[in-house]
Amino acid sequence: MDILFDKAEARFSGRVVLESLSLRLSERRIGVIGLNGSGKTTFSRLINGLVLPAAGRVLTNGHDTALAPAKARAAVGYIFQNPANQIVLPLIRDDIALGLQRRGLGKVEREAAIGACLDRVGIAHLAGRRAHELSGGEIQLAALASVLVTAPDIVIMDEPTNQLDLRNRNLVERTIHALDENVIVVSHDLSLLAAFDRVLLFHQGRLLADGPASQVIAAYRDLAA
Amino acid sequence: MMIAEEQHSGLLAHVPPGVKLAALFGLSLLLFLVRAPAGLGALAALVGLAALLLSPRSVAQWLRAWPLLFTIAVVVLWTTFAESPGAALVALLRLGTLSLFATLVTTTTTIGQFIDTITRMARPLERLGLANAGDIGLAIGLVIRFIPEVRARYGAIADAHRARGLSMRLSTLVVPMVIGTLQSADDIAAAIDARSIRSENPRKKEG
Amino acid sequence: MIALFTAIIVVLGLVPPIMLTLVPVPIHAQSLGVLLAGVVLGARGGALSVLLLIALVAIGLPVLSGGRGGLAIFVSPTAGYLVGYLPAAFATGWLSDRIARRAESGWRSLAGFFGAAVVGVLLDHVFGVAWLVASVGLSPINALIGDLVFVPGDLLKAAIAAYVGRFVLVNFGNRARVSRNPG
Repeated sequence: MDILFDKAEARFSGRVVLESLSLRLSERRIGVIGLNGSGKTTFSRLINGLVLPAAGRVLTNGHDTALAPAKARAAVGYIFQNPANQIVLPLIRDDIALGLQRRGLGKVEREAAIGACLDRVGIAHLAGRRAHELSGGEIQLAALASVLVTAPDIVIMDEPTNQLDLRNRNLVERTIHALDENVIVVSHDLSLLAAFDRVLLFHQGRLLADGPASQVIAAYRDLAA
Repeated sequence: MMIAEEQHSGLLAHVPPGVKLAALFGLSLLLFLVRAPAGLGALAALVGLAALLLSPRSVAQWLRAWPLLFTIAVVVLWTTFAESPGAALVALLRLGTLSLFATLVTTTTTIGQFIDTITRMARPLERLGLANAGDIGLAIGLVIRFIPEVRARYGAIADAHRARGLSMRLSTLVVPMVIGTLQSADDIAAAIDARSIRSENPRKKEG
Repeated sequence: MIALFTAIIVVLGLVPPIMLTLVPVPIHAQSLGVLLAGVVLGARGGALSVLLLIALVAIGLPVLSGGRGGLAIFVSPTAGYLVGYLPAAFATGWLSDRIARRAESGWRSLAGFFGAAVVGVLLDHVFGVAWLVASVGLSPINALIGDLVFVPGDLLKAAIAAYVGRFVLVNFGNRARVSRNPG
């Protein structure tokens, strides 16, 4: 993974949401923290091009998010804060199959790929279920499966444990640790990020701290005190 | 409310939906061209017999659609008084036969087949730039997917009304439902973009 | 966006009928949904939303008021009202686009949306009556008499659609209106 921010700046209705930022991301596990409105979600959305930089540029695995959006997006699997809005077809199995559209697989291979993905995330038993019947934790994992099936290099998760009870939270944490892909997690859940390689702290649109987890989390605690 | 999984067997399930739809259209024309009750009666008997033999399930389905039968009954009664019993008989035979045949087509075709047929029919319209034919399947799936969620949102709003002792008025119920749904729609659109699952428009080029 | 609105139209047809303030008969809110689609989404969005609804009915899903669906609906006497939803949503939408673009003050846009919705109601009834005459053989007068029963309820729905439309315009801006290119 190689994500480059080159003097990238984000604006919303003329207001600067994220100030000019230049950095490089390549670690396996990266955490992003900050108070509400700090710009952390915008930061994560710049990586897959959901938000385009008003100035500067963002290169995700070498693809410019503004000039080659499709390629940038193909490298990233993004899981939204409200994962229920991310499952777009009634049956879980069908929704996951959407990710395989472009691969032109035969029926048998498709079923196998879907099954493998569900197994990875531990929800094989939910394949035939309807999205609106699932619990918060199950939907979170289903969204993860739907994203993993496209074989992205990078997985970004926005507040993955926000609405979950303790058991589901632990389940999601274990699943994240077991992923081979590079993972970037935006979260308020500090214990989730404690074992990460690198953590970024945003505050009022600026990168305030950037370094090992324990250090940056301590800085965040001071900030929020 | 949700839709059951359909497994269709039987002769008619293998007939292409396009053919069945064309037959329905042809039957409609025929029924309106024939005026004599005798002729209509013959057609009605023919369709009824075919339905019973080929797909008794459709006949059951037709009988179960009581709002439809009720509407037909009301209209036929109104015609008897307003026009004449003869006109009412003609109307009854026409409407009855058509609705039975239409139910036949619906019952012997799966959702998937329908979506494929609609998508194929819509392809020529792509040139008009209205929408991507390939997105139709996604759009239909989206509606089905979110009906329970919108229903739940409405239910929550209604509950909140009851909890606060407010009377249920459409104006106060509908506004939060629409606003909330539109906000979700933003998220859903972002997710669809992020997952790149919309169909490729053959006319559009991408860098 | 469009698909979600179709879901709203469906849900409005599925929920228990509400007693409207003046009318003593419980009314299904589905046609309100159609008018709303026009007012909130505009001509293109409203029409596509209704088209999607029609497709769902054709497929056989129980999405019409009271859980009805299937091709049989299209050959029943009330088919005109369903098909009429399409020009109704389009016309209401077209007029609403004009009104929204001019972004007039409070009651002016409210009145404008109401006017747009009324046009939609009228169009729908025209199609409904026309089909009644054609399919059943009722004379136009008799069909019209049968039709008039539903008009007051629909006019009330037009008023509600205007109110909601105005609310959305104020709080959401024109973002819900679907432009030419869905992007």
